[in-house]
Amino acid sequence: MTTTHTELPSDRPTADEPAVVVRDLRRHYGDFEAVKGISFDIRPGELFALLGTNGAGKTTTIETLEGFWRPTSGTVRVFGTDPYDQPPALRGRTGAVLQGNGLMEDLTVRESITLTHDLTAEPRDVDEILDLVDLGDKAGIAIRQLSGGQKRRLILAQSLIARPEVLYLDEPTTGMDPEARHTTWRIISELKSRGVAVLLTTHYLEEAERLADRLAIMHRGEIRVEGTLAGVLATWGDRIGFLMPEEIGTDDLPAFPDSTVGVRTRDGRLWATYTVTGADVAERGHRVVAALVAWAAERGVVLRHLQVRGASLEDVFLQVAGATDLAAD
Amino acid sequence: MSTATTEPTTRAAARPVMSPLRQTLRLTRTEFTLFMRYKTAWMFLGLAVFMFLVPLNMPGDPVVGDITTADLALIAALGSVGLIIGIGHPSNVFTARRESLVLKQMRVSGVPRSALFGSITLMVVLMSLAISVLGVVMLAVVSGALPKDPVMLLLSVLLSAVSMSFLGLLITPLARTAESAQMTAMVPMMFLLFTGGNIIPTGMFPDRVVNMLGYLPTAAAGRLAQASYTGYDVFSGYESATPAGILELWVAALPTIGILLAWSALFLVLTVRYFRWDPRQP
Repeated sequence: MTTTHTELPSDRPTADEPAVVVRDLRRHYGDFEAVKGISFDIRPGELFALLGTNGAGKTTTIETLEGFWRPTSGTVRVFGTDPYDQPPALRGRTGAVLQGNGLMEDLTVRESITLTHDLTAEPRDVDEILDLVDLGDKAGIAIRQLSGGQKRRLILAQSLIARPEVLYLDEPTTGMDPEARHTTWRIISELKSRGVAVLLTTHYLEEAERLADRLAIMHRGEIRVEGTLAGVLATWGDRIGFLMPEEIGTDDLPAFPDSTVGVRTRDGRLWATYTVTGADVAERGHRVVAALVAWAAERGVVLRHLQVRGASLEDVFLQVAGATDLAAD
Repeated sequence: MSTATTEPTTRAAARPVMSPLRQTLRLTRTEFTLFMRYKTAWMFLGLAVFMFLVPLNMPGDPVVGDITTADLALIAALGSVGLIIGIGHPSNVFTARRESLVLKQMRVSGVPRSALFGSITLMVVLMSLAISVLGVVMLAVVSGALPKDPVMLLLSVLLSAVSMSFLGLLITPLARTAESAQMTAMVPMMFLLFTGGNIIPTGMFPDRVVNMLGYLPTAAAGRLAQASYTGYDVFSGYESATPAGILELWVAALPTIGILLAWSALFLVLTVRYFRWDPRQP
């Protein structure tokens, strides 16, 4: 994809009040409650990532914000307006990349973009937008002949035609190759820098780690974890692992304040993992490692393959989702 | 975290939006492009043309003045053009577009339902008019007759196309795929076709049934087309039909026009009420 920096929506008022407000949103489908009382805000220039397993309620949340569903209870507001049924006040101010492509595959790329262009009051230039997503050389090709990643780029391009101030991105980079994904991330970052409020759902945790200012992990219709990436990871703790010395039994492992220990079998050997939490985020890992090394020296054993790492978003995600749910998913 | 500034926002700063009428006209252009590329659309077009061939083999018994049974069936076929294309095409493409999320994407892109419904209806109207012109040429060649009241004929084709387009849209919630939409559409299409008077002579039915069938949209459109083409007031039956002046004919046609408008309104209300944008069942 091209790395040319093309003009993106700018010169629009930013604000310290949220562009998107969700309060105690609940959404039922018959007896099934897909979303169970979630709340969050998204401010201009902020990207809020909504993560979760399939069926967690992410798409229902996005679709409610897009105006397809009326909340069963609670409120959603976009620029202070109820988005239900896409009121004229929000047209052009919001854009969306749906989970599916939503493209008329019998049209060519240019016909499709031109149609969106012609249906918009203050559109961006067709060639500019095609170059932005690196589809300029595919303009004359029927959409059905594009690859999955190219279709995602086209739908992203269409969502940007109207210079939206709020953008809903439902798994926008699914099917893209790594280069296209990176270019898409750059486009999204530039949109943020120009004050666009972005709601992103993705199964690529790296994508959320790179782009999100704040994130939430949904599970079974509820937000289980929310905050900045650093804040979420800090809460989740550091991991200190090592191969269990043969001379040591699991009951002999020492206990430390603000930490828990678990032992698992991997490759036929026992591995110990300390999860260290606590307010002193910068030093807590050092404190426990130092105590462990001292303990090992005192017992005359070596902590082989000793490693320390902070929690990853994947750790948090897996913990929230639960191994059973993932296996069943 | 947020990169928000302290500049005050304009919460109600709605953007200029393109009028639904302009969007409708622009979408109609694309509908035309796509119509030309859809094989199924051509099939419905061919079927509509075929409707004009069916009456050619009918007996040419005079019914109203010099106008024969075959002529009347051929004229009534003008009212069935909208039936074939109107039920067939919108139900097919809108179901396919719903399943492939095109409708949802359009909606979130700021295209109102009036533009979406309007463009497909306009497309059906244009195609129906084009086929109707072909029908009029065929009639002129076969019987040498031209419509006595072209405006009323135009209105019959128009109302038939509009009401049937809305019926076609109304079918889409009942189907999960374009293929099942085509099958589902066949039920009302065949029923209305066989009760419209140009394939099966409705005179073979009891009077009570014939009167009831007259309230159906295709029969009403066919009657309106026959009156406009022949200049006879056929609204109360062929036996009592008499030549009528323009004004007299329009007055006589008002109840039939009302029937077609009522069907159009009913189908539109039901379409708006039950139309589904999302392939997911709520």
